[in-house]
Amino acid sequence: MGLKAYAFETSIRGALVAGALLGSQTARADPPALGLETIGRLELAWTFRTGNPRGHAGAPAVSGDSIFVLTPFPHALVALDLQGHERWRVVPDSDPRAEGLATGGGVTDGPVLAGGRLYLTTLDGHAMAVEAATGRVAWDRAVASLDAGETLRNAPLVQGGRVYVGSAGDDAGARGWLAALDSGTGRELWRRLSTGPDGEVGIGPQFRSAYPTEAGADLGVRTWPPEAWRQGGGSPGPILADAELGVVVYGTGHPAPWNPDQRPGSNRWTSGLFARDAATGAARWFTPTNPHDEHAYGAASPNLLVDRPWRGVDRKLLVHPDPNGFLQVLDRETGLILSAKPIVPTNAVSGLDAGSGAPVRADAKRTHADTMTRDICPAWTGPVLAEPALSAETGFVLLPTSRLCMDLEPRDSGVIPGTLSIGANVRLKVPAGPAGALVAWDLEREAPAWTAEEPLPLAGGVLATGGLAIYGTLDGRLKALDARSGRSLWEYRAPSGIIGRPVAFTGPDGRAYLAVLAGVGGPLGQAARGGIDVRDATAAGGLANAVRQAAYRDILGQGDESGSLLVFRLP
Amino acid sequence: MRALAPAVLAALAFAGCQRETRDFRTDPPVLAALDDVAPLPNRIGGAPPDVYVALGQPYQANAYALSEGKRLYDGMNCKGCHADGGGGTGPALLDGWWRYGPDIVSLYVTLRDGRPRGMPSYADKLNSEQLWQVAAYVQTIGSYRAATAATSRNDQMQSRPSENRGPARAPLTEPPSR
Amino acid sequence: MRAGRRLAIGVGLGLGLGGCSGSQSALDAHGAQASALRDLMGLFTVVCGTVWLLVLLALAVAVWRRRASGREPAEPGATSERRLGIVVGVAVALTVLTITGLTFASYRTTRGLTGIADEGVTIRLRGYQWWWEATYQDQAPERVFRTANELRIPVGRPVRVELAGVDVIHSFWVPSLAGKQDIIPGRQNEITLKAERPGIYRGQCAEFCGLQHAHMAFLVIAELPENYEAWRSAQLRAAEPPADPEAARGRDVFLAKSCKACHAIRGTPAGGVLGPDLTHVASRETIAAGLLPTTRGSLAAWVADPQTVKPGSKMPLVPLDADELRAVSAYLASLK
Repeated sequence: MGLKAYAFETSIRGALVAGALLGSQTARADPPALGLETIGRLELAWTFRTGNPRGHAGAPAVSGDSIFVLTPFPHALVALDLQGHERWRVVPDSDPRAEGLATGGGVTDGPVLAGGRLYLTTLDGHAMAVEAATGRVAWDRAVASLDAGETLRNAPLVQGGRVYVGSAGDDAGARGWLAALDSGTGRELWRRLSTGPDGEVGIGPQFRSAYPTEAGADLGVRTWPPEAWRQGGGSPGPILADAELGVVVYGTGHPAPWNPDQRPGSNRWTSGLFARDAATGAARWFTPTNPHDEHAYGAASPNLLVDRPWRGVDRKLLVHPDPNGFLQVLDRETGLILSAKPIVPTNAVSGLDAGSGAPVRADAKRTHADTMTRDICPAWTGPVLAEPALSAETGFVLLPTSRLCMDLEPRDSGVIPGTLSIGANVRLKVPAGPAGALVAWDLEREAPAWTAEEPLPLAGGVLATGGLAIYGTLDGRLKALDARSGRSLWEYRAPSGIIGRPVAFTGPDGRAYLAVLAGVGGPLGQAARGGIDVRDATAAGGLANAVRQAAYRDILGQGDESGSLLVFRLP
Repeated sequence: MRALAPAVLAALAFAGCQRETRDFRTDPPVLAALDDVAPLPNRIGGAPPDVYVALGQPYQANAYALSEGKRLYDGMNCKGCHADGGGGTGPALLDGWWRYGPDIVSLYVTLRDGRPRGMPSYADKLNSEQLWQVAAYVQTIGSYRAATAATSRNDQMQSRPSENRGPARAPLTEPPSR
Repeated sequence: MRAGRRLAIGVGLGLGLGGCSGSQSALDAHGAQASALRDLMGLFTVVCGTVWLLVLLALAVAVWRRRASGREPAEPGATSERRLGIVVGVAVALTVLTITGLTFASYRTTRGLTGIADEGVTIRLRGYQWWWEATYQDQAPERVFRTANELRIPVGRPVRVELAGVDVIHSFWVPSLAGKQDIIPGRQNEITLKAERPGIYRGQCAEFCGLQHAHMAFLVIAELPENYEAWRSAQLRAAEPPADPEAARGRDVFLAKSCKACHAIRGTPAGGVLGPDLTHVASRETIAAGLLPTTRGSLAAWVADPQTVKPGSKMPLVPLDADELRAVSAYLASLK
């Protein structure tokens, strides 16, 4: 495979050089765009090996004739031209201790390009801005503290001169926070925590929740046993901005520790959705989706902002695939839940309580200290780990889902700095039937339009372009489906599993390009590269148990020792 | 003469009554001396303290010390990264591949001082005797090792032989490359 | 010689009666459940004693009315046969009746032990080798806290104790207040207490659980409801920052040494769960599960050499020099 790919690559390079020479002499007429008719002609243009074996999540950033790749920890930011030649490379200093806090394989997200600068976060807690043209570091700020168990995993959000950065570290018992930095200088403008007194959380006169359960002073303290909020968890997930409303929206992670009996109460403001004022950080609304989280679900899944009519009225919607298995559609002006429908087989939650928006939990699947609860669906990883996409041509929301279940036994766990206070015995399980699926969700009918089943869970993001749904799988297949029907149109076998999100762009030469990072890892792909021993069913958050099962076993040993960037092009 | 044989047999039977000794109290000077390991300059391998040898290497083959080590392994959140030996955020301990060497001194130094890629130091969390107990327990997790004493493995999940008694499977016989 | 023997018997009986009262006696009942059990015990003693006396009496009569020697065995006749049948029948009927009655009484009493009204207090009690961890439950999470080796309960209100275990089987037994209930890992058991008058009652693990089983005791302190509420709100507070410099140094030592890995003190970074929560350790009557009274001296002795005080306990010897030990004991004694 490797040799073949290499040969293929070199021949493509040769053709490319020839083509470039040719192209300069004969002007082409209107090169085709990526679409249903052209996808079959897509060819690999070149690959770039990053030399980093960890999970490559997120997407490369593209500007003009440059592609920027942020490799996993220890990071390198690499700028490439459209022929795959390296322009420059920035290697930030790294603190190796971060690896010990990188739960779930410790994947980090790609760089964000805005105003000629690349903004990125590093696992060891730095936020950085780099000049895209030269690779000069404009600023570099340490915002997260490894000593407190904090790391940075999500790409920053850059909007309106501010860089929003959210911490990670629920499993290490770190209080989650969202901070806004000045994009010019990196100076911190504000920082709001997910637990604690109202002043630190940013609950003030602007706060209006759609649900009466959220009213009250200092709920971030009073919904916890005394002092337990200090190790509360609740790290922000991927952040989205609505410039028109002037808000940033994100989900918060699960409370710490996993054992629910150590933290009775509804554990505000963990495991719910926050909307904050973009300028001041003051909370606008909060909608809890898994209060008193018993299954380590959190609510930090990737969301989508959609503006469309909802039951006859134009509304600003937030589409939130909650880790408890329900796809929730909210009004993002108020936080009111408009619809909640399961997108994967679920049994932990039977539905939503209309009055409080809180999930109605099935008694048989509740968890308690020192008690094993079996076959909880979905597993703690949640059904959607990577970015869904809205297909403009069809109006469907394309959701990459996993259908894993779990056995969970929470145990008491202390707070010991430098360690992960998870304290749970957990095994992931592959239920009968396919372990994953690409679900095209019809918001109108509140039901799937079609479902493309996959033997493995999907852990990479989806690209919707030209009526296509393009996504990668854990066993390294890059697939393109017809977004209208789910019909398979094109497939390419990558050298490693894919947990990244494909991006499509048009080069300065006017040709359509597709780029994706291959490099398996993350909470569902960690086993592919070895390093964990599957004889212990609880290894890697219980992933080892799933890998023992037939459906999953094939990914063992499939990981390449280096991730790579694959760039495709239409001829 | 006829009475002698049963007497000898009875004496032999009573020999089976001797119990493994459990020393609960270690004198503070001994505790201090137990910390006196001499690792090699790269902090892998080296000599155990003299007192460890003088005591007859009391932790690796003592069931009580191993079970204490297991209790501390759970209680000190080792499971958070290494699970029950299968690894996760931290490397696997079951597979018999050790980044810093399989010997007890390396394990002791790992626990006491930590290692760069995220392993924290336990010097301010456990005393030297407890560090030896955990080191001895961690060593028993690794496969391919015969020992006269071993703890039972967790049976909350399912009842089956302990992980280090199960056969190693094909993909695991190659060294992990990370 | 004879006087000596009498004295010995007298002393023996006196010692036996000593079991009838005191802080740990099923005969000295101070709670509804214990009273019911004591009454049941009384009923059983009286009924069984009466039966025993009657049987002995019948036996004595039978022995007394011995037959004339040399007579032939009684002739089986219709009259004696019938009389024999009636006697046996009546005896069997009486036995069945008595046993049924006792069964019913016992069933009724034990059923009455678990009833609880909603206004009661719920405590989650976990047995460890060899100490007790109590978590006071409440509808409001901010009123939930952990303590150890001492239960305070309000007089006159039912207290539900949920029993859980993680290591081996223990048994919860406060004879003056209630019966015995086992703590079995993986099972949820419960028992209800209701103290009728204020007092200090001693409880004890009643299932052999290892080396220090004998030193796995605890106190139940029944207080007037207003005192109980005051105690409870005091327990909910985080530990005060130490006032004097020695205690402040003690806190620094506590946080620098391995104490913090196993013990929690709310209000400090110490958040271990392997040992008892020490947030208000000095407010408890005893330390080390009823082994020593809580004084600065006993705290120092315990920290200095736990394996001499309680061999085999899970508290390790943390090497401290004399100044550090003094400071730590001052700090712990200040955690009221």
